Amino acid sequence: MTNMAVNMQVLFSGLALGSIYALVALGFVLIIRATNVVNFAQGDFAMLGAYAMFTMFTVLKLPYWLAFLLALAVMTVIGVIFNYGVYYPLRNRSFLPVLISTLGASIFLQNTVLAVFGPQPQPLDKVFQSQGFQVGGVFLDSQYLVILVVTVIAVAFQYFFFEHTMLGKKLQATSQDKDMARLLGIPVAWMIAITFVYSATLGGLAGILVAPVLFVSIGMGSTIALKAFAATIIGGFGDVKGAIVGGILLGVVESFAAAYISVPYKDAFAFLLLFIFLLVRPQGIFGEKVSEKA
Amino acid sequence: MLKIITRFAALATLGLVVGAHAADTIKIGLVNETTGPNAEAGQFTVNGASLAQEEINKAGGIMGRQIEFRVEDNQSTNPGTVLAYSKLIGEGGIAAILGPIRSTQIKAASPTIKKGGIPALVGGTDPSLTKDNNPWIFRVRPNDSYSAKVNAAYGVNDLKGKKWAIVHSTDAFGSGGKDALITELKALGVTPILVQGYTNNSQDFTPIVLAVKQSGADILGTYMTNSPDVGIFAKQLKQLGVNIKWIGSPSLISVTALKLAGDALYDTYSVADFTTDANDETKAFTKKYSAKFGLDPDVYASWAYGGMYILKTAIESAKSTEPDKLRAAILAIRGLKGVEGTYDFDQNGDGVHGYHVVRNDKGKIVFIKHIEFPPPAK
Repeated sequence: MTNMAVNMQVLFSGLALGSIYALVALGFVLIIRATNVVNFAQGDFAMLGAYAMFTMFTVLKLPYWLAFLLALAVMTVIGVIFNYGVYYPLRNRSFLPVLISTLGASIFLQNTVLAVFGPQPQPLDKVFQSQGFQVGGVFLDSQYLVILVVTVIAVAFQYFFFEHTMLGKKLQATSQDKDMARLLGIPVAWMIAITFVYSATLGGLAGILVAPVLFVSIGMGSTIALKAFAATIIGGFGDVKGAIVGGILLGVVESFAAAYISVPYKDAFAFLLLFIFLLVRPQGIFGEKVSEKA
Repeated sequence: MLKIITRFAALATLGLVVGAHAADTIKIGLVNETTGPNAEAGQFTVNGASLAQEEINKAGGIMGRQIEFRVEDNQSTNPGTVLAYSKLIGEGGIAAILGPIRSTQIKAASPTIKKGGIPALVGGTDPSLTKDNNPWIFRVRPNDSYSAKVNAAYGVNDLKGKKWAIVHSTDAFGSGGKDALITELKALGVTPILVQGYTNNSQDFTPIVLAVKQSGADILGTYMTNSPDVGIFAKQLKQLGVNIKWIGSPSLISVTALKLAGDALYDTYSVADFTTDANDETKAFTKKYSAKFGLDPDVYASWAYGGMYILKTAIESAKSTEPDKLRAAILAIRGLKGVEGTYDFDQNGDGVHGYHVVRNDKGKIVFIKHIEFPPPAK
């Protein structure tokens, strides 16, 4: 294997994992912008999405596309329940009660899944039968390719949705200034509910995509969420572009550090990067220096 | 009001009757992973132990006394294990305690076991557990110094591996196993050309697979703790075209790893202290177990089943459940055939001194041979 091929292989897996971090980070960012709260159950959305897919596809043996759509539908329902059960009752409190409420939801969701599905991790089929193919000494895993393509589509969709539709603009207005949005007649509570539904679905999508590689397990969301959270800070807290760039940067740095420096300390490099950013550029790559929201 | 009092009285009498009845039984504790991440394994353990209990009780019990079980959940955690031991020992009247199977949990509970002063039959394979100056820990499985010996011997002599790459988890089990394997390989004149650690729950093994590929190794030796890691690693090895021989610790043949990795683990070798078709004892046990529970047993069931029969043998020869006499009787056990092999206790309390080598033949685990070592001299 040439050095070039090795580097490409490492880059490829870094990009794929980075895309997953980016998808989950995107969910984080949307909720941070809408509610000013970090949703600690964001990783569990990925886990729930994977289990929903496992139920529809492996247990109920539905066709892949139908199982996929139904799993996403389940996630939208979970998003609604999450909004009204975890966020809405505490919406007029400070951020801390909401934060703890999401933490509680995370523990509750993990243990509920444990009780229903048991502790054994489960395999999930890839989107394509083919394992992947060889291009000039580099093996391109079919699932990693799917992850990359879907991430690009999701990001493009998100851009279009927020910049070019009325609903997207209303959501943006809500996240920028709730009181002003309310004065302009935007139903703020509705907008926040939609944000939760969208983040839950996005998180679920990330889980469904990554499950064939990492398997369906209760802990699968936690590790991803931790990295995704680091990605949101690196990219710029609450910045959509930042979540995507931060996630992919984190995946690639981690992958190369493991290949060239140390495998056991792979995770440490991810957090070292976070640490450096916090010291040198705490507002992140795209973050603006905003002192306080007025 | 009167009604309530009568009810209480009735309940109390019932309690007394049960209590009186319990005095005639031999009480055995089981510290078990009933809840938490290892609950699946814990269920196998309860199955194995209760199958032995049922058989022994049906055949008239131990010295005419029936066995009674006290299962205490350790929640798959270290503090849970300490608490479970304290509870069982504090209850009094318990002859011996089985469990758990995880080395770190046993290490955590070791001081409690020592203070408690009743025999604890454990399944953890970290060699240091029985060398801790704790007279009450007995191991009813082989320890990892033997697994490394078997891995090295079979890999070098039978699989003809010359250039070894070792991949290991960086936790206590993986690092201990890696050190033991390097030592045993050195004894056979082989120095590994690559030693690579990883932290548990890694999401991507691409860098490790590439390192193995580039090292030019012809055999892979692994001590991996978690089955999902085995699954991801095996799949990536296959994808990146690494087809060298592979021999490793028993996680390679865990039910979960087999399910997750599928054909990526075909034709790999593993050491194992229990396989269903190793000998007459394991075949008979497998038959009874699968008839009762509808699936084949694995090591999580077999070690506890074997442990119960060790206790039966020891109590019968001591003619007592008094701790000191029971301890001497367990240490005196020689040549007792059981599901984990032949139980031959040495002075450290190690009961089993050999391992099987098994092969993954298209997803089915096939017994190849058993390698037995002489127990350390008395």
